[in-house]
Amino acid sequence: MLEVGDLVQAISHSIVRMASFTGKELREVIRRPGVLLSLVLGPFLVMFLFGLGYSGFRAPFTTEIVVPTDSDFSRSVDDYESLAPGRLNITQVSDDREGAEARLQDGELDLLVVVPANSAAELREGRQTTIRVAWNQVDPVYDQLAILATQILVSSLNAEIIEQAVATGITLAEGELGPEVSSIPPGVIARPTTAETENVAPTPPAVLNFFGPAVFALVIQHLAITLTALSMVRERLSGQMDRFRVAPVTSMELLVGKYIAYAVLSLAVSAIVGVLLVGVLGIPLLGSIGMFVGIVMLLTFASLGFGLLISLIADSERQAVQLSMLMLLASVFFSGFVLPVTDFAQWMQYIAYALPVTHGISALQDLMLRGRVLDTWMLIALFGIGVVLYVARSCGYGVSSEPPTDRLSAEIRS
Amino acid sequence: MTASPTSGPIVEVRNVTRAFDERTVIDDLSFDVEPGIILGLIGPSGSGKTTTVRMLTGTLGRTSGEIRVLGEDPIRFSRRARGRIAYMPQLFSLYEDLSAQENVGFVAALYGIGPFKRRRLIRRALEVVDLTDARHRLARDLSGGMQRRLELACALVHSPDVLFIDEPTAGIDPMLRQSIWDELRTLRNDGRTLLVTTQYVSEAEYCDRVALIADGELVALDTPDELRKLVFGGEMLEVTTERAVDADVIGGVPGITDVRQAGARQLFVTTENAATTTPLVIEALRQAGIGVIGLEEHQPTFDEVFTQLVEQRRATRDQEVVRSQGPEPVGARGG
Repeated sequence: MLEVGDLVQAISHSIVRMASFTGKELREVIRRPGVLLSLVLGPFLVMFLFGLGYSGFRAPFTTEIVVPTDSDFSRSVDDYESLAPGRLNITQVSDDREGAEARLQDGELDLLVVVPANSAAELREGRQTTIRVAWNQVDPVYDQLAILATQILVSSLNAEIIEQAVATGITLAEGELGPEVSSIPPGVIARPTTAETENVAPTPPAVLNFFGPAVFALVIQHLAITLTALSMVRERLSGQMDRFRVAPVTSMELLVGKYIAYAVLSLAVSAIVGVLLVGVLGIPLLGSIGMFVGIVMLLTFASLGFGLLISLIADSERQAVQLSMLMLLASVFFSGFVLPVTDFAQWMQYIAYALPVTHGISALQDLMLRGRVLDTWMLIALFGIGVVLYVARSCGYGVSSEPPTDRLSAEIRS
Repeated sequence: MTASPTSGPIVEVRNVTRAFDERTVIDDLSFDVEPGIILGLIGPSGSGKTTTVRMLTGTLGRTSGEIRVLGEDPIRFSRRARGRIAYMPQLFSLYEDLSAQENVGFVAALYGIGPFKRRRLIRRALEVVDLTDARHRLARDLSGGMQRRLELACALVHSPDVLFIDEPTAGIDPMLRQSIWDELRTLRNDGRTLLVTTQYVSEAEYCDRVALIADGELVALDTPDELRKLVFGGEMLEVTTERAVDADVIGGVPGITDVRQAGARQLFVTTENAATTTPLVIEALRQAGIGVIGLEEHQPTFDEVFTQLVEQRRATRDQEVVRSQGPEPVGARGG
């Protein structure tokens, strides 16, 4: 009976210790209203400005068409604009190839298209003709779009060439085949099939819908990393860690107390920002709220681990902030926030998947926009990252169960 | 909870050495702390006081030697032992965004004290350091002295038996230093054992025993009075006479070890026991026809004591070095 009583007392003391860290962390954050305000309103404002300022409309390429003098192609601007609707802004159709090339070099043009001189004749004789399309872009996204626009343009021009050739052929064949041939429109012969497109996603693609959950995940990760790293570094440098070591506090109690505090904080921020996202910005939440909370918790858990890891490395608060910003930068580039993770080399994808936000973005986008998480392994990955980092931090910083390390001694002396 | 009766020393330090990167910071330190006293660990900045306290609290390992606090090695303190000690770090380590009572409450919770009991202990700890009126103020809004007292309240809240207090009066005005020492003595009177470090040598007066430390070595360890005797060869009397007096007049009085002429009518007398020597001195002067205007015990300041002890220590070491090097080779000089 005595042993049971001791156990109960030990557990209750342990709970009191963990609660002390939780309460202290929450009070500290609440006492800084500016920080709290920026935590809650910051993400919302970022998304609001993003939604307000980003139209999702990509300006068409400023294009010039060069039609050689002996070509039988049209010289009408409208004809060419209709070849790739919305993607080309044809400034002029000319036969001045050299001038157009110079304008492309000077950045006055995005695209230069030089149509072949005698394409129909070449086709009738069974030879391919070449359409030259040139652009002057360093932006990889624009480069991809230019390739896409070119493919559409070339496809349309090819159809045009075939159409012209077939039209000529029909005229020639009319005498032999009879008048019924002339009743088939050349356009039908040139494009005998047509495509009907459909997007089967439950939510129509929209910029704000797509990036909203991503920004949200990024903010949750950044919040957890920065606050935890700063809190731990501050406590170590101020000598508070020595007080913890002298007191009967274990590393588990300290870390769990902090985890609970930041979990509560993340949930509070998530609740407010979530309401603003769904209620004010109109981003759908097709999945369950329970699952939403679960993803936020897992994302926070994994991110806290990174915050603790940074606190182990950083020798000052400034360095902790710098490392947190580095994490943010890495997350923006590699998490799928800007470019799909699959666009990166395989080795880089491993790094991307080590970032909690990579899984957070994917899971939140799936849950909010599709109603369910397609890649459930990502939730397991989040949990795994959190566990690995928790264990690493516990080993790196024993509170009461381990003798102080020389590294710690050096830190305190400095 | 006050200190339970303990037969042996609360703290035992035996031949402890601590080196950082081959630089010896603490060198062969040995001392004991008996229960229910204030031991002042006194020495200049950088003498190794904080390192010693950190080794005693288990926050820093040692290179060699043995330490026992409450019968346990600090590196492997049990939870029970941790619950009986308190540590007040040198740096301000409280949370600026928490109020005074929240800070104390936080530390109380670290010791597993539940919310109901905690409330009473917080109130009592704040009363001891006279911060009851400031209990709702944020720590960042308190003055430097109040912050140090708040630190002390945090160290006290779980009613420890042994307190390790690192530089409680550093950077604090003399009035407040006095009040902090009053609080420490009150704690001592409650039966607690305190090990207090300070760089103010004059604060040795407030301690029951003093360990003077310089360059990581223990220079002396004794009560303040005994340290004075150690330095000056006994107790000192300051004698002022009606007319000019020669030191030889009282040189033969039993118990007197030294007489120093401080002025024509003033003598400093070193004696083994001031109480027994005083009437003999008066009688010797009377027999010589010299009236005594004043005769009182002279208390050299601890700054004098400390300086004297350190100089004695250095002189001894120099002699040891010379001796260890052996006699100078013939012809070495003037070569």
